[in-house]
Amino acid sequence: MAERTVIVRLNQQQIELVDRAVARGAAADRAALIRRALREQAAKSSRRGEAR
Amino acid sequence: MSARSVLFEWTMQPGTGKAIELRAGRILRIEQVEGRQCVDFNCFNLHDYKEYMHCGRTRTVHGFNPSKGSFLWSAPPRERPLLYILEDTVGRNDVLFPRCSAYLYESAYGFDAHTNCQDIQAEAQREYGLTPDDVHDSFNLFMCTEVTLDGRATITRQESRPGDFVDLLALVDVLAVPNVCGADVMRTSNFALKPIKLTVFQASEADMAAAPKTPILKSQRTPQDFRNATIKSDRALVRDHTYVAEFVNTPILVEDVVVTLSADEAAMFEAIRLPSYEADDGAALRDILFTWWEENFLGATESGAPAIGSP
Ligand SMILES: [Zn+2]
Repeated sequence: MAERTVIVRLNQQQIELVDRAVARGAAADRAALIRRALREQAAKSSRRGEAR
Repeated sequence: MSARSVLFEWTMQPGTGKAIELRAGRILRIEQVEGRQCVDFNCFNLHDYKEYMHCGRTRTVHGFNPSKGSFLWSAPPRERPLLYILEDTVGRNDVLFPRCSAYLYESAYGFDAHTNCQDIQAEAQREYGLTPDDVHDSFNLFMCTEVTLDGRATITRQESRPGDFVDLLALVDVLAVPNVCGADVMRTSNFALKPIKLTVFQASEADMAAAPKTPILKSQRTPQDFRNATIKSDRALVRDHTYVAEFVNTPILVEDVVVTLSADEAAMFEAIRLPSYEADDGAALRDILFTWWEENFLGATESGAPAIGSP
């Protein structure tokens, strides 16, 4: 599968939550935080799959 | 336990209720005399009756059967714990059912007049100048209820015994109003009306220490924070021609975040995205973001107040 661009639309309240996480060092920027969330959720999902 | 000093004792006879000024740091014990009697309960901030106990908030935080260790909360926007359930020897109480009312007994049983919690509460609250419209949904002590799989709430018989009690510790000054539930033709109190003993104690230091601390938040607002803090004193609703809407955080503005997924990440995305978003990639990825946030950073303390997690 190739690289892919996704546009995530967030309102100012959602941006605030994301920016707070970024400010605390959870990721380098908003996009990086979203990618971190994706990777961690995918890892969790595959762990659940193995457990079954 | 015996170190507590008794400040007030009262026996509520069947068909009655009693409004009690319960100062912060005092305990109201609601006790079975003969057993198997449901008690409905209302509660107001003694200094501002517009702040009252909210079963919805209480239910959300503590579930359908608040018992020892639960708080009884006031309604938004106040949202403070008013009382703490310090002890509960039975552990069956209800926040699903509203108070029983005259309508119920007339429509279902054909009574012109019948003991009912709405009217008993109203009569007890009248001692403090409240009206029948001020009676609110009750916390129902000793009441055994269940939720069926098809989503209905049902009442079953109860098994409380003489001497069983619930101790409510006042965290702020309140008007506490218990009443003997008027339902004698239902299972609620096993088809009989019986007296209930009330005792007010001064709480000991150990009692006070037993109640967990809850956070003080900016969102717990008081009339000082209200745009309109004047209690309306007439009945008709009339438009305010000077009104200008000021809804919070409006207008809601949106911003696009461009996320470039690597080939690996794109595959992960396809593997875990929710089908319900269909072709809407942005919505599907947004769901993953906030689900992740919830699972990692959304906390709830024992008191049910949200704790702000730090990533
Ligand atoms: Zn009742």
